[in-house]
Amino acid sequence: MAASMSGVLELKCEEKVNSSKILVVGAGGIGCELLKNLVLTGFKDIEVIDLDTIDVSNLNRQFLFRKEHVGMSKAKVAKESALQFNPDANIISYHDSIFSSEYGMDFFKKFAVVMNALDNTAARNHVNRMCLAADIPLIESGSAGYLGQVTVIKKGLTECYECQLKPPQKSYPGCTIRNTPSEPIHCIVWAKHLFNQLYGQEDPDQDVSPDTEDPELAGEAGKSALEQESKENSVGGIERKSTKSWAMQIGYDPHKIFNKLFRDDIKYLLSMDKLWEKRRPPISLDWENLPDTVEGSSVGVIHDQRLWSIKECATIFGKCLGDLKGQLSQQGDGGMLVWDKDDDIAMDFVTSAANIRAHIFGIPSKTRFDIKSMAGNIIPAIATTNAIIAGLIVMESFKVLKGQIETVKVYHIISSEEGETEGQLQCRQILSDFNIANGTRLKCDDFLQNYNLIITIATQVTFIVDKLEEDKEFDVIGDLADLQPVEESEKPSNDEAEQIGW
Amino acid sequence: MANSQKGGIDKSVKYDRQLRLWGDHGQAALELARVCLINATAIGTEILKNLILPGTGSYTIVDGHKVQGEDIGNNFFLTKDALGKSRAKVAAELLAELNEDVSGDFMEECPETLLQTNPSFFNTFTIVIATNMCERTLLQLASYLWEKGVPLLVCRSYGFIGYMRLVVGEHPVVESHPDSAHEDLRLDRPFTGLVELCDRINLDNMNKKEHSHIPWLIVLYKYIEEWKRTHNGEAPKNYREKNQLKDLIREGIRKTKEGVPEEEENFMEAIKSVNTALVPTQVPSTVRKLFEDEECLNLHQESKPFWILLKAVKMFVENEGQGLLPLRGTIPDMTADSKRYIELQQSYIEQAADDIAVVTEKLQDILQSIGRGCSISEQEIKTFCKNAGFLRLIRCRSLAEEFEPRTAKIQEIAAHIEDEEHSDVIFYILLRAVDRFYEEYNHYPGWYDDQVEADVPKLKTCMNKLLHDMGLPPTIKDDYVHEICRYGASEIHTVASYIGGAAAQEAIKIISGQFVPINNTFIYNAMKQTSITVEL
Repeated sequence: MAASMSGVLELKCEEKVNSSKILVVGAGGIGCELLKNLVLTGFKDIEVIDLDTIDVSNLNRQFLFRKEHVGMSKAKVAKESALQFNPDANIISYHDSIFSSEYGMDFFKKFAVVMNALDNTAARNHVNRMCLAADIPLIESGSAGYLGQVTVIKKGLTECYECQLKPPQKSYPGCTIRNTPSEPIHCIVWAKHLFNQLYGQEDPDQDVSPDTEDPELAGEAGKSALEQESKENSVGGIERKSTKSWAMQIGYDPHKIFNKLFRDDIKYLLSMDKLWEKRRPPISLDWENLPDTVEGSSVGVIHDQRLWSIKECATIFGKCLGDLKGQLSQQGDGGMLVWDKDDDIAMDFVTSAANIRAHIFGIPSKTRFDIKSMAGNIIPAIATTNAIIAGLIVMESFKVLKGQIETVKVYHIISSEEGETEGQLQCRQILSDFNIANGTRLKCDDFLQNYNLIITIATQVTFIVDKLEEDKEFDVIGDLADLQPVEESEKPSNDEAEQIGW
Repeated sequence: MANSQKGGIDKSVKYDRQLRLWGDHGQAALELARVCLINATAIGTEILKNLILPGTGSYTIVDGHKVQGEDIGNNFFLTKDALGKSRAKVAAELLAELNEDVSGDFMEECPETLLQTNPSFFNTFTIVIATNMCERTLLQLASYLWEKGVPLLVCRSYGFIGYMRLVVGEHPVVESHPDSAHEDLRLDRPFTGLVELCDRINLDNMNKKEHSHIPWLIVLYKYIEEWKRTHNGEAPKNYREKNQLKDLIREGIRKTKEGVPEEEENFMEAIKSVNTALVPTQVPSTVRKLFEDEECLNLHQESKPFWILLKAVKMFVENEGQGLLPLRGTIPDMTADSKRYIELQQSYIEQAADDIAVVTEKLQDILQSIGRGCSISEQEIKTFCKNAGFLRLIRCRSLAEEFEPRTAKIQEIAAHIEDEEHSDVIFYILLRAVDRFYEEYNHYPGWYDDQVEADVPKLKTCMNKLLHDMGLPPTIKDDYVHEICRYGASEIHTVASYIGGAAAQEAIKIISGQFVPINNTFIYNAMKQTSITVEL
């Protein structure tokens, strides 16, 4: 196979291609192209992992999949399809999350090169860290519409994926979402939260009811509202309990849900008068009396690209409530739905709810097509860009395999400077999340004074746990006297001691 | 159309991710397109794959070859059991599996033969894509298609080199999708509707809430007018004056009883927009140049709709438009209450509609004067007017002009091959030399493993002859000749994949009439991961 390659690649490179084990993370747009390119370049030992299943909207570019594969594992189908074209290749597929603990250091160390064909930052960060820890070269890639990128990451030689901060996914303050939306996106986020509150996993950060802790309500203002709440423990006359259990109790009755969300909650918001001193106050709606005109001009005739009137929105909203209730009950007790931009009913739900809320707050409506982009963080994707990117990845892999990248030593810096690592490190993570385990040596450098310290991490074995005092999370082993700063002129001592200071 | 259903799959769902790039009408154009591929090589099938997946109407493969060993190695769409069968047939069948909405066909015939026996076969296509063709036949095909006005895309993957050449006589682009475009707001030349709307608004006698929800466009208009009153009716022109205007707006922000400025986002937006909104509205130079094009000045019965529409817009600019293009009619999102926003939006939409109506009238007159029925739809006129500021035109040189020494771009080529930085245009010369070699020896240099070394001096001779014919010195180093011989005309799949992606994208640009295609040659060097676009 790949006969015509012989003679074109240098012999050394060709041998490497034949014998190297490759990991492809992701079997989507770039992943499909990449698998094809690898197989046809002569790579014989490939493993591919992807958690996703095939969706209809993948078929415009992910050519290893067909209509009949919709719903099946991307990794498995991609493997089967690629093998048809080169049965000599040995491909292993995992329908699994790369975050799973099974894919630890030992797993990554098996490979000569890891190739990322991912669509999200979290997984990219993870693979980046695993490859750094295992010291395996990584070829990172991505595409968005007509744009794409390929980057080789090698510990000690190149910047890593996280060296440059990526703009975080936009988030909005809770009180903007719950009390004072001013842009369409605020209403869309609210509608997605509402979906989760009604059918999905309830998350207190995604509350959709009026927020009485809005900083703008500090002081006298809003007092009446707060008093009312403490007296009745209710919002808009409805006892405060889990939104989901309340909705279930009333059988997802569209009339009641609509009036709670779009009439009573809004009236309650209005009672927080300080909010509306400088804003246009919302106007509550009633299920019985809805406007049937469309604001502004309505462009296009296709359902997706036409603005819906509020009455239409309400009808669709009501229908979705029922349909989704059906979906939920199919899952039995404790079931939940996950919002998916490619699920028509879920998408209709968010479109109608977001537009109704937008109307209430005097915010322009959006079409379903636009809302899908905004709610789903949809990135346009086409076959051509992915083909180009996948070609580039394999070209870069030749360089990596030929060993044109050499190893040099690198230091990782974990800073204590306030703000410096914000967004990079989350405080709740524990050392093992960074692959810091028994025997790891951390080099610490205080840049405010000339002080270096090497910490050797020793994980305690069970029988000495009781030696730790209560509330103490760690213990310093060794002689504290050695930790005092040493005169600057002295050379660093790098023997058995746990610390260096000079 | 994109929202029709077939085989149980909703096309608007299947094509959702690309509709966001080229829209329903781009998709419709794609679904009507007929593509011809010459030679089902690795690069050829890659291009087709990338055209079939997004839903191109139909394709026809012309290929007289039988499937050979090396085809299976580098071509995803040819399998072992296809050995010895027609390459056109096998590839067409396997490609058909990619998308049931696309119909595929094949012609087991050499393009040379077809050109002699049935050249009009090629007339029926939206675009012809020729891959790895020998020079002589390519030139014949190119001159035939040039005459018939059928776009031709020449593609080649040769070892680590990728090559692409677009040959299209004239390709107008209405929707060029510029990366960054100023909004068309006309604050410097306000239209009547905008003036009337703004005049009805009095910022001074508003309550606090209204005052902070007036769209920034109106705020800025008001302050520009105020500025003009004290500056002989002229808007701020330079940096200093613009800063003074910003200060003026800043002073207009309401204050609390304690004298602290309120948070009025709309005023802040107005201040932020001073610089961009005061860029004078004018007809871009690219469009002015098109107005003076022969095709626009001398319309005839066969003129393309583009030129007729352009003439109508030109007449608008020279008369009712008072030197300005039709209004685009869109405004950006901004802090505002929806009543005011919609009012403002409406005034822009109405003016744009008025402008379109005038253009339509002009268009009718023109169509009548050149004796043509109304063949231009309302939607076309609308799209044209909306994009009038972004119109682009590509005119490629023909292959004949490029190959004929008298008309070849010798000086540009000389500048490239003498460049110290080793421009990739060197590979253009080498590929031309390879064709000469083929013409002479009937095989490609390095084709036979035991003749690679022997072919080096022969290829060098071919190259130097070519350079001599072009009047260029033989300065290309032997290393390059060695490298090309080493390739033995083999196609590397990854190079095919790269050029396949790029070429399909250019084909989609030609088919959809959206985005600006290359003019006219693209060379990819996979060894160095560099590329260059040159006009040859």
